[in-house]
Amino acid sequence: MLKIQDIKGKYIANVLRSYGVLIALIIIIIITSIIETNFFTIGNFINIIRQVSIIGIVACGMTFVIISGAFDLSVGSIVSLSGVVAISTINNGGGEALAIIYALLIGVSVGFVNGILISLINGKMGEAFIITYGTQTVVAALALFASGGLFVAGRIKPGIYKSIGKGIVPIVIFIVIAIGMQFILTKTKFGRQMCFIGGNIEAAKMSGIRVVANRTAYFMISGLLAGFAGIVLTSRVISSNPAGGMGFELDAIAAVVVGGTSLLGGNGSIVKTVLGAIILGVMRNALNVLNITAYPQMMVTGVIIILSVSLDILNRKAKEKELANEKL
Amino acid sequence: MNEYVLEMKGITKTFPGVIALDNVSFGVKKGEVHALVGENGAGKSTLMKILNGVIKANSGEMYLDGTKTNISGVNDAQDKGLSIIFQEFNLINTLSVAENIFLGGLNRPKIVDWRNMRIKAQGLLKSLGFSFDVRRVVGELSTAEKQLVEIAKALSFNSKIIVMDEPTSSLTKSEEKMLFKIIKELKAKGVTIIYISHKLEEIFEICDTVTVLRDGKVIDVNPVSAITKDMIIEKMVGRTVDVEYPKRTILPGEKVMEVKNLYRTKILKNISFDLRKGEILGIAGLVGSGRTELAEAIFGAERFDKGNIKINGKVIKLRSTRDGKANSIGMVTEDRKETGLVLDFSVTNNITITNLNNVTSQRILNSRKEKDVAKRFIEELKIKTPSHKQEVVNLSGGNQQKVVLAKWLFSNADILILDEPTRGIDVGAKYEIYCLMNKLVAEGKSIIMISSELPEVLGMSDRILVMHEGEIKGELLGESASGEDVMQMIIN
Repeated sequence: MLKIQDIKGKYIANVLRSYGVLIALIIIIIITSIIETNFFTIGNFINIIRQVSIIGIVACGMTFVIISGAFDLSVGSIVSLSGVVAISTINNGGGEALAIIYALLIGVSVGFVNGILISLINGKMGEAFIITYGTQTVVAALALFASGGLFVAGRIKPGIYKSIGKGIVPIVIFIVIAIGMQFILTKTKFGRQMCFIGGNIEAAKMSGIRVVANRTAYFMISGLLAGFAGIVLTSRVISSNPAGGMGFELDAIAAVVVGGTSLLGGNGSIVKTVLGAIILGVMRNALNVLNITAYPQMMVTGVIIILSVSLDILNRKAKEKELANEKL
Repeated sequence: MNEYVLEMKGITKTFPGVIALDNVSFGVKKGEVHALVGENGAGKSTLMKILNGVIKANSGEMYLDGTKTNISGVNDAQDKGLSIIFQEFNLINTLSVAENIFLGGLNRPKIVDWRNMRIKAQGLLKSLGFSFDVRRVVGELSTAEKQLVEIAKALSFNSKIIVMDEPTSSLTKSEEKMLFKIIKELKAKGVTIIYISHKLEEIFEICDTVTVLRDGKVIDVNPVSAITKDMIIEKMVGRTVDVEYPKRTILPGEKVMEVKNLYRTKILKNISFDLRKGEILGIAGLVGSGRTELAEAIFGAERFDKGNIKINGKVIKLRSTRDGKANSIGMVTEDRKETGLVLDFSVTNNITITNLNNVTSQRILNSRKEKDVAKRFIEELKIKTPSHKQEVVNLSGGNQQKVVLAKWLFSNADILILDEPTRGIDVGAKYEIYCLMNKLVAEGKSIIMISSELPEVLGMSDRILVMHEGEIKGELLGESASGEDVMQMIIN
């Protein structure tokens, strides 16, 4: 006897599973708007998205790596180093174009090292964690070396470099990157193979997919975007800081996880990551507007991340149970 | 007053849209080995899950030793003396034998008494007629030994009834003998065994009674002595199956693949053979004889140190599976769940992965093309699935195997390596796979089939290579060879 309640329950569960993040976002917005009228303004929202766009760009690359069943902790240091190198190139008269090329090259190279090491040893989450933690440390040290450990003010003339971080440009860049990557993920062979590798790496290997080359590419993309984020960051603040990207890797992972991409690999979406990044940004902004200081803010962010991961695991469990009951 | 140690009465279980069990009554007498057979989807696993308390029946009653019981879950089942040993073992590879046996058992007192645990574990193994170091790590054990640990684990709960699900599916012949010995031992101790298997020969060797399920109904209950294999098959599939191995009319054509002096240190010793167009070449040998390693070398999944492989007269480079695929080789691996499929991906996504270029327009994946491909194969191979979007984890073993096959057909492989193509699938699906193999060779493809089931190799192959310890011991003609011939070659 199938009860209507069951069907209803299942329906609600499905809706929550698919749109939970979006619903949470809307609830936060509504509550904060009621308490504080300054919150619900177009100016404030543009501000929020501009703030999250840099982390968002990094998180897009992170999404690829996580879908393929790995992790990339090196991105924060890449942001720092590429920013340091770009600013010092400009300050030393190397030109904007060269600054941008160096920054991107740094990202791609670190990504290449990560990717080739991890894929050659057939590394899973754990190995990826340790290896990229290693490169993170090395790259952070390089950033300190390159800058002498100091803040450097950028002598940037008006031009391309300066405009990258100006006004809504970071937002546009973020959105364009996100759309492009979502397209790659869902509509190309490259994206499908990525999901397959994340879903079952052994089966991918036995299906004639170039696992090593592909996995290396995901890390290179992640590194490239981190390098690019370094450019956006330094352009916005017109200076470089050898620790400027510190902690970005965790914020990026948080955006991916809060968005709802599973850490188990195999599937996920850039759209979700964008939502995750925005939700974290809105949350932070809302707490600011409500005059809650930095320390409790950190606690709230931490709790949200834990909740998201728990939710993902609970969802998976629920789905498994459903399967066990439906399977013949 | 009741001769049944376990009785399930009028069990009905419905899933949305399907009746999985329809008023099933199933009784097992104390100390017997009771076979439960049926095609995949007949309801065996549903019945066992109800027995184990994993799922609830819609209606029906269960009696243990004549008293009405309700089983609320796996732990409750264990407490009441019911254990199920699944095909995929529930063991922790990194822990020792003793720890695995008493996992979840010896938790009172809270502090582990290692010496006591070891002695008890040793005792349990000894009661089964075996003794090996219980400090060994389970991951290092052979499949047969792992099974032994599972059985010992079941005994540690004082199980009165043990369900064995496909216990011999990955055992060698000699290990199988060992298992049967253990079963007899258990029987002598008064333990009741419910034996689920697709290998009907075994049932005649070891079981006392057989219950046949079909489409969720009990079709027949008989003492084994009163029934024949053909009768069981007929009852399982609901029709008479004329021949177990369908015949082919076509003859192999020209050479498509020549393997010369393939050598890999300690694994493969100078292997040479030819494969012809339209041929099924069987490879027989024990587990560990290098069969799978040979197949993987030919496919590009494993390296080889010396030797070469020619396809259509030309030496090919094989550095990766991608090279294998590019040279029209496909491999259906022995473990479809581990290396063949992404289980939570759809039928479509699992099939198209080998040839995504073929389902794109302007390099963009075209979901309509993908759907068409999937539907074509679902129809051609008669894959039973509610939809092309269904996740393969929901399909039966036979249908999963067809999806793996479809994926290589879609890659346009001309040489198909099938490693244990019918492992763990039922009689009806097996027959379909055989027919499919015949159809493929008739279309001009060539098949290399590795199998532990000797009758299958004998029944399906044009030629048979007998492998032992990395060497080809000899070649036999499928038509005239017998199982004894193969075993003779292995022994000599």
